[in-house]
Amino acid sequence: MHNIVWNELLLTTSLTTETPSPNPSWKILDTQDQWQRFSQPVGDDPTQPLVQSSLLLDGLRCAACSGIVERGLSGLSGIISARVSMSKKRAVVVWSPALTNPSTILAAIQALGYSASPASHNENQLNATAKNRSAFWRWLVAGFCMMQVMMYASPSYFTKAGDIASDISHLLNWASWLLSLPVMLFSSSTFFSNAFRDLKLKQISMDLPVALGIGITFIVSSAATFDPSGWWGNVVYFDSLTMFVFFLLSARLIEVKLHSKTLGAMESLVSRIPENIERQNTDRSYSRVLNSQLNIGDIVRVHIGEAFPGDGKLVSTDAGSNSTKVDESLLTGESTPIHKNVHDKVIAGSYNLGQTVNIVLENIGESTQYGQIVNLINQAAIEKPRLSQLADRVARPFLFFVILSAVVAATLLWNIDHGRALMTAAAVLIVTCPCALSLATPAAMLASASAFVKRGILIRRLQAIESIANIDTVIFDKTGTLTDNHIEIKSIRYKSGITEANALEMAAAIAQHSMHPISRALLSAYQQSLLQHDLPKNPSIELTDIHEEVGAGISAKFNNHALYSGGLALGSAKFCTDDSHVIPVADKHYQQVFLANDDGWLATFNLQEAIKGNVAHSISQLKEAKLEVELLSGDQLHTVENTAHAIGITQFQAACSPQDKLLRLQTLKQLGKKILMIGDGLNDGPILASAHVSIAMGKGVPLTLAHADYVLLNGDISQIPQLIQHAQKTMRVIKQNITWAIVYNAVCIPLAFFGLLTAWQAGLGMAISSIIVVANALRLTQFSTPALASDASLKAK
Amino acid sequence: MDILFILIPLSVVMALVILGGLWWAVYGGQFEDIEEEGRRIFEEDKD
Repeated sequence: MHNIVWNELLLTTSLTTETPSPNPSWKILDTQDQWQRFSQPVGDDPTQPLVQSSLLLDGLRCAACSGIVERGLSGLSGIISARVSMSKKRAVVVWSPALTNPSTILAAIQALGYSASPASHNENQLNATAKNRSAFWRWLVAGFCMMQVMMYASPSYFTKAGDIASDISHLLNWASWLLSLPVMLFSSSTFFSNAFRDLKLKQISMDLPVALGIGITFIVSSAATFDPSGWWGNVVYFDSLTMFVFFLLSARLIEVKLHSKTLGAMESLVSRIPENIERQNTDRSYSRVLNSQLNIGDIVRVHIGEAFPGDGKLVSTDAGSNSTKVDESLLTGESTPIHKNVHDKVIAGSYNLGQTVNIVLENIGESTQYGQIVNLINQAAIEKPRLSQLADRVARPFLFFVILSAVVAATLLWNIDHGRALMTAAAVLIVTCPCALSLATPAAMLASASAFVKRGILIRRLQAIESIANIDTVIFDKTGTLTDNHIEIKSIRYKSGITEANALEMAAAIAQHSMHPISRALLSAYQQSLLQHDLPKNPSIELTDIHEEVGAGISAKFNNHALYSGGLALGSAKFCTDDSHVIPVADKHYQQVFLANDDGWLATFNLQEAIKGNVAHSISQLKEAKLEVELLSGDQLHTVENTAHAIGITQFQAACSPQDKLLRLQTLKQLGKKILMIGDGLNDGPILASAHVSIAMGKGVPLTLAHADYVLLNGDISQIPQLIQHAQKTMRVIKQNITWAIVYNAVCIPLAFFGLLTAWQAGLGMAISSIIVVANALRLTQFSTPALASDASLKAK
Repeated sequence: MDILFILIPLSVVMALVILGGLWWAVYGGQFEDIEEEGRRIFEEDKD
């Protein structure tokens, strides 16, 4: 064991000696309380503790780079796994504190030619600003020099050979050369350093052909400048050189802009908690502290517009009124602000909109629901979908092919004109755009994942977008998914001689003394009926001698009422029946509760679980989309039948045990069906897992326990048709992107090969090609059919 | 046309000077928030 560790150490140190020495300040990170700031424990084997750290990577250029870092890291001892997200420029490393430490990991990443830092927010921001500036400055230098070089080159475009005196044209070439130098040495240095780094590691990436193309153009043009009579020819291409460097840098700049726009929703969500917050000291004054220094039980002051740093309870407000408004749209999907009074709970990540308040923290960090959501999103963004893995595999042989065809093109023309031969090769190298291919899938999927997040739909793996796009059967796992947890009165039958209002009033009068869900339902039905007639809110009937028999019913006596006297009972048929009077039990379809007085039966209330709003509409939308809809439920036949009829599901199976459900799933699978399973995610984990793709209703369910591909945070069924639609649109966009990338390369490489494209045209082509892919993906950041529109159409009906 | 022998080198020098000015602007943060400056026109004078 020791030997292995020692060897690995030798390996790392020998690697690091070639590159800039590791930053000594990394050593600080090796102490436990330091690395805990960007790490969390994982795994459940106490003998071998593992840690998962999040690192910010710098220097990633193309999808191939993430592979380099992943392979490089997973080769080290003590590192269990390493996953890199190209788009988020983040690495998640799982490592064993017993075998390695953060400074070794950071040094290893540097040895690979990248730089890494612990992913904490503050540094994130500073790094981003510095990087934006330098990228912008490179682009500006290239653009400015391009314009000036074009000026020097223009005379040669407008005159015939020999019109300009040779010493003047010589001077112009010199001037062009001088102004191409900054472009060559500064603006395009990233292409060279990346290509060189990959070569050193025997890797091949997008930057290699670009760097070769730039290099060849510069050498050919410089030779023509200093030795016009030499065998390189006397044509200079400085205008082309500066132009395509400018185009490439423009493309990257726009790409970064577009990409940060697609990720904007996720970023703003992940970084919504402020970095520091005002904490109350023991002397009731406030001082600003970092979030990491907060403890459970601290009292913090949250200003208007700030997000709550943790779950907690409102303790006091600044101004007169005792309440504030909060925006919890992230966690509940509820977009209207919610009123919170003192002693109400507030959740981490929701915004305070009303007034400055103090809260006492009850839960902080990763254990809050907000923390879990953020973790889930980060994990999902890191995962590589199947199509994108495929593109990565294709990219490498493709680059070899491109370099090979450039060499062939140059050899064929070599004997005719050395300069032209090399410039043709350069055009072939520059025009190819495997970036469009490797960007096609992740750009689109991340864009649509961010659209989902905005709607309160969390996605666990990007691959699930592809899966849900081609389903043909939707199975609702249980009635509870379609119905709310509360019960409502479906219909009332009553004895002749009294009215429905009488019956309900009496039932409510007795029900208000009980906490049973059915009693609550009766009371709320009564209150609603009063509300419709603008009457006072409480039953006017007074009762005494109230007895509740658990699981059976309640009995009471009227107290000095003008119309009624004697006893009253509410409950099951058996409870309400005495020796002399039998309760008629008629309808077997409903769960029923009965009301009786001393003279016998008064009324029967048929009850039903309340079906969630919009469900029927959503089911019909699913059916319109040619999907088969089924309901599998463990409930009794009549309950399931009622629900199914009410919402328009014809295929249903009641009284299913989990085994029955699994069996049904297997049968459908054998028929070749692609199944979307929708459940609550808590008790039906195995069933959800065995489906093609699954959705869990996240309302009130701890996210870490919800084992599904998607989690609907607000439990709103009406989002499902839109989700499927959007996923299908995403797949269409991905197909468009991939087709575009293939067609572009298939057309442009031959054109360049036969000398029909000049170097600057090639640069423009490649730049536009990758911008098109990202811009196409950008269309997915919004849902095409907003929920409001479908709500409106529902109301119109 | 002898003047070109002065003007062309001069244009190179001027280009480099302008680049220097742009460098100062970029690293002075002038391009960081472009919208804000435009918006400020509409704000009331603070005096």
